[in-house]
Amino acid sequence: MTSLETFTLLAPEIVLIAAALVAYLGGAFAGLRHGWMVALVGIAAAMSVTGSQPGDDAVAAAGPVVIDGFSTFVRWTVLGVGVLLALVQSGDIFTSAASRGSGLRHGGTCEEAGTFLVMLAGLSLVGIAGDLVLLFAGLELVSIPTYILLGLKRTDARGQEASIKYFFLSLIASSIFLYGAATLYGIAGTTSLTGIASALQSSDATISGIATILLPVALGMTVVGTMFRLAAVPMHFYAPDVYEGTGPGNAAMLSTLPKLAGLVVLGRLLALGFAAGPSSNGIGPAAQAWLDLFWQLTVVLAAITMTVGNVMALWQKNIRRLLACSSIAHAGYLLVGVAVAAAAAATQAEQLPGESAVIGTRWTLGLGGMTASIFYLATYVLPTIGIFGALAYLGHRWPEWTAGSGPRPPREEIAAVDDLDGLSGTNPVAAFAIALFALSLAGIPPLPGFWGKLTLAAGALEVDWTAPIAWGSRRAWFVSLAVILAVNAAIAAAYYLRIIAAMYFKATKRGVQADGGLAGGLAMLTCLILVFFVTIQPRGLLAAATRAGTSLTSPLAGGVPEPLPRVSQQEKVGRIP
Amino acid sequence: MNGFSPQAHLLLTIVTPLLGAIVAWVLRSRGLAAVRQSAAVTSLVTLGLAGWLVIRFLGDPAAIAGIPFARTELPWLTGDFFDVKLSLGLDGLSLWMFGLSALLTVTAVFVSWEAITDRPVGFYALLLVLESAMLGVFAARDLLLFYVFFEFTLVPLFFLIGIWGHEERRKAAVKFFVYTLAGSLLTFLGLLVIVLWNTAHTGTITFDIERLTDATILHPLPMSAEGGWLQMVVFLALLAGFAVKVPIVPFHTWLPLAHVEAPTGGSVDLAGVLLKIGIYGFLRFSLPMLPEATAAAAPWLFGLGVAGIVYGALVALVQTDLKRLVAYSSVSHMGYVVMGLFALTPLAVEGANLQLINHGLASAGLFAIVGMIYERFHTRSIANLGGIAAKAPWLTVFFMLFTFSSIGLPGLNGFVGEFMILAGSFQRAWSGVSAPWQTPYLVMTLLAVGGVVLGAWYMLQAVQRVFFGPSREPPRHDSHGASHERLDLRWYEFAALAPLAVFVFWIGLVPQTFLAPASAAVRSAADNAAAAFTARMTVEEASLPVVHTTFAAPIASTP
Repeated sequence: MTSLETFTLLAPEIVLIAAALVAYLGGAFAGLRHGWMVALVGIAAAMSVTGSQPGDDAVAAAGPVVIDGFSTFVRWTVLGVGVLLALVQSGDIFTSAASRGSGLRHGGTCEEAGTFLVMLAGLSLVGIAGDLVLLFAGLELVSIPTYILLGLKRTDARGQEASIKYFFLSLIASSIFLYGAATLYGIAGTTSLTGIASALQSSDATISGIATILLPVALGMTVVGTMFRLAAVPMHFYAPDVYEGTGPGNAAMLSTLPKLAGLVVLGRLLALGFAAGPSSNGIGPAAQAWLDLFWQLTVVLAAITMTVGNVMALWQKNIRRLLACSSIAHAGYLLVGVAVAAAAAATQAEQLPGESAVIGTRWTLGLGGMTASIFYLATYVLPTIGIFGALAYLGHRWPEWTAGSGPRPPREEIAAVDDLDGLSGTNPVAAFAIALFALSLAGIPPLPGFWGKLTLAAGALEVDWTAPIAWGSRRAWFVSLAVILAVNAAIAAAYYLRIIAAMYFKATKRGVQADGGLAGGLAMLTCLILVFFVTIQPRGLLAAATRAGTSLTSPLAGGVPEPLPRVSQQEKVGRIP
Repeated sequence: MNGFSPQAHLLLTIVTPLLGAIVAWVLRSRGLAAVRQSAAVTSLVTLGLAGWLVIRFLGDPAAIAGIPFARTELPWLTGDFFDVKLSLGLDGLSLWMFGLSALLTVTAVFVSWEAITDRPVGFYALLLVLESAMLGVFAARDLLLFYVFFEFTLVPLFFLIGIWGHEERRKAAVKFFVYTLAGSLLTFLGLLVIVLWNTAHTGTITFDIERLTDATILHPLPMSAEGGWLQMVVFLALLAGFAVKVPIVPFHTWLPLAHVEAPTGGSVDLAGVLLKIGIYGFLRFSLPMLPEATAAAAPWLFGLGVAGIVYGALVALVQTDLKRLVAYSSVSHMGYVVMGLFALTPLAVEGANLQLINHGLASAGLFAIVGMIYERFHTRSIANLGGIAAKAPWLTVFFMLFTFSSIGLPGLNGFVGEFMILAGSFQRAWSGVSAPWQTPYLVMTLLAVGGVVLGAWYMLQAVQRVFFGPSREPPRHDSHGASHERLDLRWYEFAALAPLAVFVFWIGLVPQTFLAPASAAVRSAADNAAAAFTARMTVEEASLPVVHTTFAAPIASTP
């Protein structure tokens, strides 16, 4: 290991941080006004650097950094989503300025853009972290900019409340996660993920003895800490308040980037149970317990999360609160895939010494789950950013006002679902886009959301495929989960349709202003085009998700236990440009 | 002609309405006249293409024998996980429904001619998109493609009801959508299980309906406690969606609301085609793929069908709103179809399949005329209407024709279908069930016969009150002004109704034209389930302490 190699592997993150510094310093000392332009240039530079990194199939590791297909996928997603989010963010105006009637806001964008870039770098670090310490540092590098951004973008009372609320809950979640991580260190004596994975496989009585006691603590705390990022039960309750108390740009960011971080962390945690491959004595007892606990926990959390999110969403009047609840529900769907992956890994672990699975296809080999989650995340992110982009683009509305009753009152932000009334008449393109995004989120075929739900449902149905559906068996749990998923999709349709009904079935009472600037509209249109593309041909995205999922679960996919070099992991350096 | 392959023909027929929707959208600045004319041309061209395709189908002996016609396969989502193809084709099961979808869209366009003045582009474009989706449902030979079209039909209809419907349109649209979606998502899970089952047993992933059917025949889904009653579970999952769609009686509550609030064009498509997708789903998936479960559930669904007949008729009897009455008559008439389907005798199943078309024609005609009455008088209340016959003789003639068709007057199409269903059911009741089932079956069938009488009662009572009797002059609807001087049918209304009337007579007088091409496919779809039912009954019979002499030999599944 040389530190130079680590630096080379970290090049995209370093570029992002450098761009952030340019934005910060330029804004402060050189009078730079176009912060978001710097952000876009920085992301583009990071993309070009990422392109020169080891490809999908290569595995490169140096120090705490691991570059594999999964992390490459995460990087590209972060950067791609970053571009869309930067567009939405730059068009997002905060209320107080707008109520003064100042229109587009020019000042202060450099701090925001810089903070946003730091956040992207943090998220990218989460993707490539091969060590608990780096993982935690990455997560904090996502959290800290988030609450700064929440406070920066909106300076009224509700904005501050949202920022403070997110700050405290984020701290609590981080500390919970940290306790869990410390426990993992206590079990394995190392913070390296591969080290922990091999410790879990150990048949050494001392280690497995300690592990059996401490595993539930470690797993529970790390997973629950991660639930905060996903906005899933039990750490979901901040979402509606925070989304309501901020603008569409921040809401778009909150509903996508932390979820990606959460999914990555869950994937890495899950991989601890099998990444090292079983030893000659079969799978280690601790690893087995880890996988079993993992699927049990995530099944329950998934079922509760999606139901809670959808049922809460039914009652929401504020559109950002509604979308917050919807994002909770979607976190539940994402967890279905994780649970499937965990259960499939547990099954696979049980089967490894003996016969292989009955079905000789990759579908049942335990990566349907992770692939489905990754794919689902992508099909969720596009329409979500699209909706918030449309909201940012629409900006404000005129309140009800009749001529002669005094001066025209100031514009108000679009808050309630009812504020979109009659949008199909006043702004047909935005109305069409929002309707399409809502239908996609509801999972109506052939839109992307449908393909995502298809992979999740198929994954859940095929867990323990050959076993009978006995009461309390693993298969019964997952069949129930699939049914809960289906029922939830129907509940969800009710509130997504409410948005569409407002836009199309009601007459206009108030004019929508569409003063949010073109960047939001550009994000909306880009998402619209991408959604169309995935609708017509989901194959490309699915293939990318498959590569990422396969890479994460590759020790299983081979079918043959292939022990990875454990101690010598650090010597294993891929081709470096 | 040789250059135009059936495959291209089929694809073109499905795509034409989409192109027409785009044309209508392009013409949006030219005003109402241009838009509706382009929609009419598109629907007529599609009908022409569909009709020509049907003729080509009838000219192909292989197609009549049951081999799918115009089979097309294009890759769509193929990869490691899925093997979804754009796979299309027609067979005896789908042939007439395919044609009916094209026919009823013409009707839907013409009944909306004057009625839709608000945002006509959206209306006609959605109607044409709906037509594409309906044609796609019946042409799909790939399970996932079927499901995509199946669900997608909801979206245009949701907008049609929600934007152009009546007073409670928003509630109706959302209820219709959520209710149907909830059911069909469970159907989706059931269909996925079938796919997974096939994968487990053949090692290949396919969504191709024929291959799945073959696989489920070769490796039936377990229908025992050890297998977790998987076949029954899947059957119930499929039932959830199809029963809501049909609707079978306890799941029908969305239908009257949706029908009453929908614009006439939407009602025509909803009653004429979309309800049939449920039955089509049973015939396409449940009966051939899950025969044992179908056999086990058949008596109960037979009973629910009869319950639907009687319940729908009784509720229709007390309606004061003409459109609601027709909506409940739909519930009642779909009861016959359900009953015939689950009687599981060849005669009854073929009758049910024919009755799909019959009900599609009659109910579409009735809804169309109710819409015309509403346009003229701005009321649908039976009490406010009277003596229309004197003012609008042609309108009355057509309404009477569709009424007679729906109550089963001999010589018209409804009679043929209902007769086949009832005769087949009696056959089943008399000699196809074990002794303990015989009395219930006979009672149920007799109740269904009683339903025919009830049907005649409520329909004729409504005809008598609305069209005859003292002339009541409801307040005219003012917004149309001079166009309402003439109360009788206008040319576009003739264009909407006349084609339906032609088929009402045609099927009534020469049913063989329509029965023969479907026969092979319908029988092969129902064969397995019928055999399973007979086997089940034989086992029950054998386990009885006393041997009943009334139990005759099992009905042969093919003559």
